[in-house]
Amino acid sequence: MTTQAYLGIDVGSISTNLVLIDSGATVLFSAYRRVDGNPIHSVQKALQEMRIAIPDSLEISGVGTTGSARTLIGAVVGADIVKNEISAHARAALHLHPEAQTIFEIGGQDSKVTILRNGVVVDFAMNLICAAGTGSFLDSQAKRLSLSIEELGERALLSNDPTTIAGRCTVFAESDMIHKQQTGHPQHDIVMGLCQAMVRNFLSNVCAGKEIRPPIVLQGGVSANRGIRRAFNEALRTEVIIPQHNMVMGAYGAALLAARANPTRTRFRGYSLCDREIATRSFRCNDCPNQCEVIEIMDHDESLGRSGGRCRKWEQGVQAGGSP
Amino acid sequence: MTALAIPPWGNYSIALAASVECLRVTPWSTRSTTPEIMKLGAEASPEFSCLAFKATTGYFIKAAMEGVEYGVMVNSMGTCRLRYYRELQQKILKDRGLSLFIFGLGYDGIKPPLIRHFDPTMGDFLRCSARAFFKVHAVDSIEKLAWETRARELHTGDTTRLMNACLKDLDNARTVPAIRAVSRGVPARFRTVPTDAAARPLKIGLLGEASILRDSYLNHNLEETLGSLGVEVRNFFLLGNEMAKIFNIGLWSPESRGALTRLARPYLKSRVGGHALESVAYTLRCAREQYDGVIHVSPTGCMPEISIRPILRKISQDHSIPILELSFDEHSSHVGVVTRLEAFADILRERRKQASS
Repeated sequence: MTTQAYLGIDVGSISTNLVLIDSGATVLFSAYRRVDGNPIHSVQKALQEMRIAIPDSLEISGVGTTGSARTLIGAVVGADIVKNEISAHARAALHLHPEAQTIFEIGGQDSKVTILRNGVVVDFAMNLICAAGTGSFLDSQAKRLSLSIEELGERALLSNDPTTIAGRCTVFAESDMIHKQQTGHPQHDIVMGLCQAMVRNFLSNVCAGKEIRPPIVLQGGVSANRGIRRAFNEALRTEVIIPQHNMVMGAYGAALLAARANPTRTRFRGYSLCDREIATRSFRCNDCPNQCEVIEIMDHDESLGRSGGRCRKWEQGVQAGGSP
Repeated sequence: MTALAIPPWGNYSIALAASVECLRVTPWSTRSTTPEIMKLGAEASPEFSCLAFKATTGYFIKAAMEGVEYGVMVNSMGTCRLRYYRELQQKILKDRGLSLFIFGLGYDGIKPPLIRHFDPTMGDFLRCSARAFFKVHAVDSIEKLAWETRARELHTGDTTRLMNACLKDLDNARTVPAIRAVSRGVPARFRTVPTDAAARPLKIGLLGEASILRDSYLNHNLEETLGSLGVEVRNFFLLGNEMAKIFNIGLWSPESRGALTRLARPYLKSRVGGHALESVAYTLRCAREQYDGVIHVSPTGCMPEISIRPILRKISQDHSIPILELSFDEHSSHVGVVTRLEAFADILRERRKQASS
C-alpha cells in the first residue's frame, strides 16, 4: 500500500529546509540544514537523508519549491509548483494559526512582515537595503563572542538589565557591543541588548507604516532564538506565537501548496537525482543591452532548465508563480 | 559626422534618435542602460544621488570614451534635483578629463542652445519633428497593445518578440508615410499572437518616476515580469501625453496638467516636483477605474516620489486599493524584486477571489 506524500523545499540564503507531509498535512519528515555554498548539493544531501528516514511505501505525489533559489531547485528536482517565500510562509502560518493577523518572518538575510486579515494576505514588506536585524548578523555576533547561536539565546534570558545597543547598522552595533564589553557590562546583558536592538530595528524599519495587530506569528530561522522571542514579547507587550514547525515554515508552506495543487502526475525526478552530477553553466545573452548572465542547469547532457535572465526568454522547464 | 549621446529612455529612444537627425548628427542611443554603463555611473556619482543620475552619468562617460562629442540632458523640469544634473554631469566629465559637451534641454529662449549650435534649416527641423512626433505615438500604441496581449498570451515570449520586431520596423522607417504605415499595421500584427480570449488578467497601474518606469534595465523588466505572471499593466508614463502636457496641447484632455491637478486636489495641492502630482492623480484614477492594484516605483532617495508616499498610503486606505512601493538603486537584487511582484500578484488574486465569493 503506498501513501501519497507531498514535498516542500525551501532554499534560502542560510539554510535548506525540507518538509514532507501526507495528504492530511501532517508532517512526516522535516530537515533544517545549513547551505554549504552549493544549494544543489545541500538539496541532494537533504533528500538522501529523507530517503533513508522515511518508509518506502511513501510515494511523492507533488513537489513545491520556495526561497531565493526556488527556480534553480525547482528545475533540479522537478517541482510542480514554484512559489515565492512570502506566499509560502503565509500559507503555512494560516494553516496552523488561521486566526493570525500578522506574520514576522526573520531568516538568514531577509526579514519580512506579512499582514493578514480574515485569513488572507493583504500587505507585506521586506527589508530592502539593510540586513541589520537578520539571522546572519546574530550568527556573526555569536561567533565573535565564541557562543553557539543556541547559547546566545539562552544567555540572553539571564539578563535582568539589558544594555542599550545601537541597532540601526550592523557594523555600528558591533562597535557599540565591543565598547560596552570594554566598559565591563556583563555578557548576558549585552546579548539581550543586541536582541532588543534587532527587534527595534525590525519594527521601525520593516514594519514602518504597517498596522501590527495580534495574534502575531513569529517564524523563520531566527524565531528559534529565545532572546529574540523575549525581546518581541517585551516590545509588543503581547505573546508572539511560535508555530510548531517554526524553523521550516517556508518548506511546510511549499508542501501545502503542492498538496493543494495536487498534480495528476508529479514532475518530481525521483531520488536518483541525489546521485547524479548536476552542474550549472552560464552564458551571456547578447540579444539586448541588458546582457544578462543566463544560467543553464545541466544533468550530464540534459538541460533541466535555465534561469537568471531578466526577461523570461530563456526560462524553461520551470514555471515561476503558478496558480495559487 | 559628429555624434550626439541621447540617454536611454526606453522605447522612446527610437523617436528621440529620429528627432536629432535634422541636426546632421549621428544619434548615439540605446533603449536601456547596460550593466557596464551602470557601473561607470555608480563609480563616478555621489553615493546618494538617484539612480537616474547614476545611469545617465554612466551613459555620458561611456559615450565620451567612445569618442562622442555631444550629449543632451533634460535640465529644467520640475523642482527636483534633476534641474542641476546637467551641470553636475558636465563637471564630472571634466574632472575625468573627458570632453563631451552636454546640452541642456530646458527652456532657454525660443531657440534652445542645441538648436542654436547646430542651426538646422526650418524645413529639416519641421520634417524631423514630425517624424519624432509620429514615432512617439507609434511607440505608445505598440506599448499599449503589448500590455494587453502579454497578459493573455498562450506562449510566454510571443508578445515581446513581436513587440521588438515592430519597434525595429519603426526604427527603420525614415519618412512620415513609412512611419504611419508601420503604425497602421501594428494592431493586425498583435492580433496574430495566440491568446486566451477568456482570460481576465489582473490589472495593475505602474506609476512613479519616469526614467525608472521607462528603462527596463533600471526597473528589472517590470512590465515583462508582470506580463508573464498574467498581469495586464498600464504604465502611466506615456511620452505622447507628456509632450502634450509640456507644450500645453489638449487643455481639455483627461491627461492635461489641469485635469490631473484637479483630480489630485483632495489629497495634494502642491506640484511637489518630478512626477509626484501625476503619481497621486493616477493612483486615484486607478482606484476609480477599478484596477486591482498599483505599483509605485522610484529611485532610492527620490525626493518628490518619497514625499508623496504617505499620501499614496492614505489613498490606498480610503479607496481600498493595494499599493506596492518599490525603490530601486544599483544594488537592488533581481530576485528580491521578482519575489515582491509575485507575492503582490498573489495578494491581488486572492482579493479578487474573496470579492467574487
